[in-house]
Amino acid sequence: MKKSQKQLISLKINGQEYELAIHPNRTLLEVLREDLTLTGTKEGCDDGVCGTCTVLLNGAPIRSCLYLAIEAQGKEVTTIEGLAEGERLHPIQQAFIEHGAIQCGYCSPGMILTAKALLDKNPTPTEQDIKLAIAGNFCRCTGYNKIVTAIKAGCQSAEGGQ
Amino acid sequence: MKIPYFDFRAPSTLEEALSIMDDYKGGARVLAGGTDLIPIMKYGLDAPDTIMSLKKITDLRGIKLENKEINIGAMTPLADLLSSHIIKENLRALHQAVEAVAAPPIWNVATIGGNICQNSRCFYYNQSKTWRIERPPCLKAGGNACHAVPKGKKCFSVYSGDLAPALIALKSSVFVERKGRSRILSLQNIFSGNGTAPFTLEKEELLTSIIVPLPDKGTGSSYVKMRFRPSVDYPLLSVAASVSLDGSKKIKETTLVLGAVGPAPVVVAAAGKLLRGGTKDTVDFDALGEILRKGTQMVDNLALPGSYRRKMIPVIAKKAIRAAIE
Repeated sequence: MKKSQKQLISLKINGQEYELAIHPNRTLLEVLREDLTLTGTKEGCDDGVCGTCTVLLNGAPIRSCLYLAIEAQGKEVTTIEGLAEGERLHPIQQAFIEHGAIQCGYCSPGMILTAKALLDKNPTPTEQDIKLAIAGNFCRCTGYNKIVTAIKAGCQSAEGGQ
Repeated sequence: MKIPYFDFRAPSTLEEALSIMDDYKGGARVLAGGTDLIPIMKYGLDAPDTIMSLKKITDLRGIKLENKEINIGAMTPLADLLSSHIIKENLRALHQAVEAVAAPPIWNVATIGGNICQNSRCFYYNQSKTWRIERPPCLKAGGNACHAVPKGKKCFSVYSGDLAPALIALKSSVFVERKGRSRILSLQNIFSGNGTAPFTLEKEELLTSIIVPLPDKGTGSSYVKMRFRPSVDYPLLSVAASVSLDGSKKIKETTLVLGAVGPAPVVVAAAGKLLRGGTKDTVDFDALGEILRKGTQMVDNLALPGSYRRKMIPVIAKKAIRAAIE
C-alpha cells in the first residue's frame, strides 16, 4: 500500500462504531477533533507533555496526540463526550462544577477523564493517589487544590451512588 | 504539527516483524509505544517511509521469573512493570526508574524496549522545524555544526532514558533478534557512545527481550533522577546504584551508572574499588565525586548548564548509594 493512500479503519468511541478512511499518519487526537468533531478533547502542546488531549483507551488514560488513530482499532475509546448520560453529568463532572475546579476549562476534559480512570480502578483514592494520577495533566489556572478537592468529592458521591 | 506520510505495517507475529525488518533493510522504523518516535516525527526530525508497529505482537509482552532470571518482553508497557510484584520485590532500581518516567498516561503506552531504544536528545535538536530553521543543521540532523559546543566535531546529544541506567546497574542483558539469527549482549554494549547514532544494533535487528539476573539477598539497588518537574521532564542527570553488602554490612560490590551525562549511560568501574570494604557512613563521597566526574561529556545542551550538572553528580550519587544500602 502506498503511503499516500488512505486506509479504512473502524473505531469504537463512546460505545459507538465509526467507519473512517484515514491516512495512517493521523493521530487519534486529529481524528477525534477534525473528522468526528468530538472537540471536547483539547489540543495543547501536541507533544505529549501537557495532558489536555487525554482520552481513555480501554479505560486507561493516554495522550491522544501521541497515539496513531489506526492503532486504536479494536479498542474502546472514551472521550469527555461519553461521560454524561443525557443531561445527567458524571459525579466527577458535577463535583468539578460544585467545587470551582474549572476556570478556563481547557484542562478539564483531560483532568476529568484521568480522574474517572482513577475512580474506576480505585473507588476510594487517597489525596496522594489523586495527585499521582493527575501528575501528567497541567492546569494553569486553579493551582490544583480545587481539582484535588473536586476529585475527592466526586469519588465520594460516586461511591454513595448519587 | 503533522506527522509526515508513511506506509504502515502492523505484523501480529515476531517472525513476520523480523521478515519485514529484513525486507526493508532497516528502512522500516519500529514503533513500540510511540511516545518518543511520534514527537520526533512531528518535529520533522525523522520521516521514515515505513512504520512497523509492534503493538499486535502479544508474545513480546510479559514478565517471567525463571531460573533466577527475570525476563521482560520488550513490548511490556511501563504500567505493567510498575504493577509487577516480581519487579517491585526484586528490582528496586528498575521500579524507581519506571516511576521516574514522565506521568501515568505515558506509562500506559510507553514500553520497556521503546524506552531503552529512545533517541538521544539535545536542546538544539529536539525543537520544531520553525525553531531549528534559524540555525544551520547540526551534526545529529545531518549537518556539520554543533550548536551546543561551537566548532565541536562530534555530537554531544544526551541519552535520556531512565530505564537503561537502572537495568545496567542490575547487570541486564538484551536478547536481539533478526531473521534467522539471534544474539544476547550486555545492555551496556548496545550503546555506541556516538550521539548521531546512539545504538550499535544492526538495522535489521530488533530488541525483543531484557534479561535481568535475580539479585542476591544482600544486594540493594536504587535510581535517583534530577529534573525540574517530576511529572514530565527527562533527566538532567541520574544515577543508578546497585550495592552488595557482606555479612558484616561492609560494601562488597558496587555498580554505579550515570544517566544523562552523554550519548550513552556511563558505568563508573573505579567507583566499585573505592567503595569496597566501606560502610554507608565511612564512604569517602568527595573522592568518589572526583572519580565520577571523569568520563562524562556534559555540555550546555539541556535545561541546566553542563558545569552545574557535573557538580551535582556526587550529590545525586550519594543519595543513590545510600538509598541502595537502605
